[in-house]
Amino acid sequence: MVKVTYVAADGTRTEVDAAVGSNVMQTALDNDVDGIVGECGGAMMCATCHCYVDEGWTEATGTRRDGEDDMLDCAADEVKPVSRLSCQIKLTEELDGLVVHLPEEQV
Amino acid sequence: MPLAPVDETVAIGDLVRDPYPIYRRMRAETPVVRVPSVKRTFLTKAAHTKMVKDDPVLFSSNDPTTPMEPAFRAHTLMRKDGEEHRRERMAMQKAFTPKVIKTNWAQLYRDITDRYLDRLPRGETVDLYSEVCAPVSARILTHILGLDGASDAEMMRWSQQLIDGAGNFGWDPKLFEITDKANDEMDVHIAACAERLRAEPDDSALSLMVNAADPIPWSQIVANIKIAIGGGINEPRDAMATIVYGLLTNPDQLAEVRRQEAWGAAFEEGIRWVAPIQASSRLVMEDTQIGGVDIPKGDIVMSIQASSNRDEDLFEDGEDYRVFRDKNPHQAFGTGPHHCAGAHIARRTVGEIMMPELFERFPNMSLPDPEAIVWHGFGFRGPLSMPVTLN
Ligand code: HEM
Ligand code: HEM
Ligand code: FES
Repeated sequence: MVKVTYVAADGTRTEVDAAVGSNVMQTALDNDVDGIVGECGGAMMCATCHCYVDEGWTEATGTRRDGEDDMLDCAADEVKPVSRLSCQIKLTEELDGLVVHLPEEQV
Repeated sequence: MPLAPVDETVAIGDLVRDPYPIYRRMRAETPVVRVPSVKRTFLTKAAHTKMVKDDPVLFSSNDPTTPMEPAFRAHTLMRKDGEEHRRERMAMQKAFTPKVIKTNWAQLYRDITDRYLDRLPRGETVDLYSEVCAPVSARILTHILGLDGASDAEMMRWSQQLIDGAGNFGWDPKLFEITDKANDEMDVHIAACAERLRAEPDDSALSLMVNAADPIPWSQIVANIKIAIGGGINEPRDAMATIVYGLLTNPDQLAEVRRQEAWGAAFEEGIRWVAPIQASSRLVMEDTQIGGVDIPKGDIVMSIQASSNRDEDLFEDGEDYRVFRDKNPHQAFGTGPHHCAGAHIARRTVGEIMMPELFERFPNMSLPDPEAIVWHGFGFRGPLSMPVTLN
């Protein structure tokens, strides 16, 4: 288990226990965290799982995956350098403590 | 494990008229069930429909036995998997983003909606379905796709003919003669539009595809546009009519939607309640199990999102239109790689533009006879008319 913290657009923080091997989108859904829709189930086809990786964690989460840039263009909210599709961030031991910020809009 | 039970009692006609009591019974008694009249295995639980659509390797969209190929005269992205699917899909996806709509089109769509609303007579009963829902959806789609010059009537006819052809499971040659003619007309018009857009690019889907640095083949550009014509008119039309019905038959909810400007939630609940696309098929690639029964390789499973959207495991009072739900994890746009390419567009155009404009313009609109409205459809579903009184 690793810890992941979701910071909603209004500042509310939710810390959850996540399984290594799951991803940041699925973990949010499994724990009823609002602010991530994840409508395509992680197929990288909907951009409703947009998140901003906390500045302290961008190195650990690594670079965007193949095709992720294109799909991020379809996100409802502003895309920043720290923007990721949370379904493409796979949880590893190294990501224990990860903090992601959620945009105001997903659809 | 046993094979799925067989339900001999269900006829296509029953599903077309009102599938919901049937799905409710199936969810309770036989959630995975073979239905000989449709020659498919029905999946009626949300967890199963989602699992199937999220796993394109085991459950392929590439079913060559559907009438879609002759109807579209193409192997379209809806029936492809993997990299080929992604490439064809991404070639047009950027024309369908919230940003493009917000910055380039939103005002135009408001103007279009206004123009159609202006035409409506006050104090009379008009059919919103044919006067607003259908033509506004058609007009907006014409712009998004880059098909300027096609009339509302042409767009609506092409769309309906493609859909009838894709649903031609009786393989009636007459229906394919009709789609052949529609395809001829579309081919000519799409080619002419492409010519124009090469000279004067814009943000439409066709422009994006023909002017791409590394374009997909012309045959697939044309196929993509046809899929969007087939998929981009009837669903927003049916969604809009369904939401109007839901709100007008629940005045307390309408008042609250107005107060909170919760048009987005009203939209989501409308497509949950009566999903415009009710079911999609997938071909089973390997022997497997779903919900405790064996599903053999070669079987065709039908993911019935209409049923998932009312699954008691996820929704309280799922049979009712109830805007203010805590959560609304419906599958009306599908899930997995074939998740609707037009979801953002539909949400923004219907949810954020058409619905509020309509209810602002006609605050006292009423539905004189809700009982008289006929709902229809198994693959696709919606009301057949929506006569309202405007005052
Ligand atoms: C309320 C409106 C709409 C609903 C409920 C809806 C629903 C759906 C569903 C359920 C699918 C998935 C089918 C499957 O799993 O095989 C789909 C696919 C698709 N839709 Fe929509 N749709 C809507 C509006 C639109 C619009 C406006 C467009 C066009 C701009 C559009 C374009 C597409 C395309 C191109 C696909 C195929 C995606 C693929 O196979 O990769 N849809 N839609
Ligand atoms: C004996 C008559 C019919 C049978 C057995 C039948 C069966 C089916 C089945 C099994 C599907 C899902 C297959 C798939 O998604 O690939 C389907 C989809 C569909 N049906 Fe029917 N149907 C019949 C009549 C009709 C009629 C009369 C219409 C239209 C007027 C229609 C329209 C459609 C449409 C538009 C689809 C979705 C196509 C797609 O997703 O590729 N069907 N039908
Ligand atoms: S869940 Fe759809 S792109 Fe991430």
